[in-house]
Amino acid sequence: MSSSSNLQLTKDGELRHFLTPEGLDRLMLERILDTADSFVVVGNQEIKKVPLLRGRTVVNLFFENSTRTRSTFELAAKRLSADVLTLDIKTSATSKGESLLDTLQNLRAMHSDMFVVRHSDSGAAHFIAEQVTPNVAIINAGDGRHAHPTQAMLDMLTIRRHKGHFEPLSVAIVGDISHSRVARDQIHALKILGCKDIRLVGPNTLMPQGIENMGVSTHNNMDSGISGTDVIIMLRLQTERMASAFLPSAGEYFRLYGLTTARLAQAKPDAIVMHPGPINRGIEIESAVADGPQSMILNQVGYGIALRMAVMSMAMSGQMQQRQAQANQTSSLSGEKKA
Amino acid sequence: MKIMIRGARLLDPNQALDRVADVLIKDGVIDTIGDLSNTSIDTQVDIQVDAKGMILSPSFVDLNTCLRDLNQIQKGTIASETHAAASAGFTHLCPSPDTQPCSDSSSVISLIKSKVEGAGFCDILPVAALTKGLKGAALSNMESLSGAGCMGFSNAGYDISDNTVLLRCYEYAATFGLKVLVQAQDEKLGSGHMHAGPTATRMGLDGIPVIAETLSISRHLELMQHTGVEGHFNQLSSAKGVALIRQAKAQGIKVTADAGIAHLCFTDAKIEGYCSQYHVQPPLREELDRKALVAGIKDGTIDAICSAHQPHESAAKCAPFAATASGMAVYDMLVPLMQILVDAGELTWMHAIQALSTNSASIAKHKASSLAVGNSANLTLIDPNHHWILNEVTKISQGTNQALASQTLKARVKLTIKQGLISYAL
Repeated sequence: MSSSSNLQLTKDGELRHFLTPEGLDRLMLERILDTADSFVVVGNQEIKKVPLLRGRTVVNLFFENSTRTRSTFELAAKRLSADVLTLDIKTSATSKGESLLDTLQNLRAMHSDMFVVRHSDSGAAHFIAEQVTPNVAIINAGDGRHAHPTQAMLDMLTIRRHKGHFEPLSVAIVGDISHSRVARDQIHALKILGCKDIRLVGPNTLMPQGIENMGVSTHNNMDSGISGTDVIIMLRLQTERMASAFLPSAGEYFRLYGLTTARLAQAKPDAIVMHPGPINRGIEIESAVADGPQSMILNQVGYGIALRMAVMSMAMSGQMQQRQAQANQTSSLSGEKKA
Repeated sequence: MKIMIRGARLLDPNQALDRVADVLIKDGVIDTIGDLSNTSIDTQVDIQVDAKGMILSPSFVDLNTCLRDLNQIQKGTIASETHAAASAGFTHLCPSPDTQPCSDSSSVISLIKSKVEGAGFCDILPVAALTKGLKGAALSNMESLSGAGCMGFSNAGYDISDNTVLLRCYEYAATFGLKVLVQAQDEKLGSGHMHAGPTATRMGLDGIPVIAETLSISRHLELMQHTGVEGHFNQLSSAKGVALIRQAKAQGIKVTADAGIAHLCFTDAKIEGYCSQYHVQPPLREELDRKALVAGIKDGTIDAICSAHQPHESAAKCAPFAATASGMAVYDMLVPLMQILVDAGELTWMHAIQALSTNSASIAKHKASSLAVGNSANLTLIDPNHHWILNEVTKISQGTNQALASQTLKARVKLTIKQGLISYAL
């Protein structure tokens, strides 16, 4: 089991960082989904704010470009009434030669309560939570090709809201599994929530070695891979994969693995289609499918804010409990000394 | 100087020696071996050690180590790292040429040698760069460097992708009967950060597949066979790599190989949680690979065990995994790691000494030390039952990248003797 699980929880089993669903139990993931469900309503209210993070400082640390994830995190923090600072680190401190460690220590000195971190290195959020800022809640907004837990969980929220229970579902994840941090966390979350049939579809060049050990089946053929499935998750294909010899061309990829209306007919009639976005129309998905009735792509975006509000409020609450426990311990120790 | 070591278990694979006896060292050589309990020599010796329960063997020769220094004193100095080597039982070291500046000229070699001599802990049999600047383009002055005392030539961790250059390197080395040492890993396939397998996939780290090693071994073996150059492979990491060496030896190719102690003891599972202390090159692989390496030592396919010691400062390991430097500071852990293998019944101390001393000396073209009367006294005394904690106080290497830091370890070197003089004493 990943050592992340210990890192993510307080002694009492409450969430204090959210780095990956791996190692968390079903109860915790269901609590995240339940909390997110309650926040979906907030977005529909006239006044969209709740005071859960009032007086707390949330710093968005984006070491890698992102528009959509960054803006949904910012919106989520604001709806929780937090003070939000968004730093595009790529163009600031680290380009002056400051190490990640030093950048973070400086930000910690500013009494931040939560860091939302996106970084191109796998394990970056884990590193920060473990070695740099044990008393700042870390929310992983994507680390290398390792994890993107809030995306995976908002996908779970989408599936649960539209399909109900996970146990009977067949889920296909199609495309660039190798470079996808989303796919890895989707697999962890689906397994933990009880899904038994998880199929990965793609050519061998995009299928990482030993992925079967995560309890999934692999399929090179799209038609048989998505046949009879309830959920099809399409992954974004980066155009640089063609230049680096993973694939010959976007055209050939679309012909073999693109989700078209005809292909979608292989899945169950009520199957839902998901995509973490941004989508490449005509490369991994046909417009008619992306905009069609089975598509959940825009619903996912809305759920993303609710889901992020949920994990931010839960991690902050866990972190506060831990700080209180530490403070109590310190005062009882100093009391003992006095006695 | 006279040193008396009483009651140790003498192990010397050279002469299949395994017995308990007293050893008297006088004027740099082994003077007497036997039962000296009744002699009145005690009053005349400078140092007497009660070594009951300890193991006395010929001293160790390290075929792969990094001593840092020069432009890398933040990682270690020749004084600190040769001291650490002596504390691990080594008297002779073959430092890798990837120094800064790199060991491709007689002047750098003589600077390193003079610093090692000044420190006085070990002797060195340097490995020089195979190509100038380790750039894989132009041949180094191999014959001159050999004359300056270099035991062999290597391009360290820098793969020479141009077969024409590699062929000429080997032809030239063969002309003068020089040895080449290879760290076999294809540059492009080896660009990841850990072994390619389920763990790397789950953790989202770029993997280095086994074929990065096997393709490289096969290519080098072909060229070695073609040119007749004497070749040695440093730091094998995979079961398939061991099989290729076994096959080559069976075909009569002049080749030897070593494995690093870390690869004999650890697997990629240690990286779980992004533990950068286990970020090494070549990468730690799976249990079946580790077992094959141990089996290779046992059946002689792998001749030697090296330290692959690479000390780093703490900042080098304090970053997200992929951004950390590879390498482990091994000297402080080497004997305890060996003891773990012995206690697990995987190897015996006789295997260990054969691989750390007898065979590595022969590969380094150094006259192997032997526990025989009249021989120069290069000896290592190990207390296999000594329990200790590896920490800031007990460690000797300047490197802070000891994977087993803060742990209680078993076994420790009690005494290292180089040419009759004590180079390390606990």
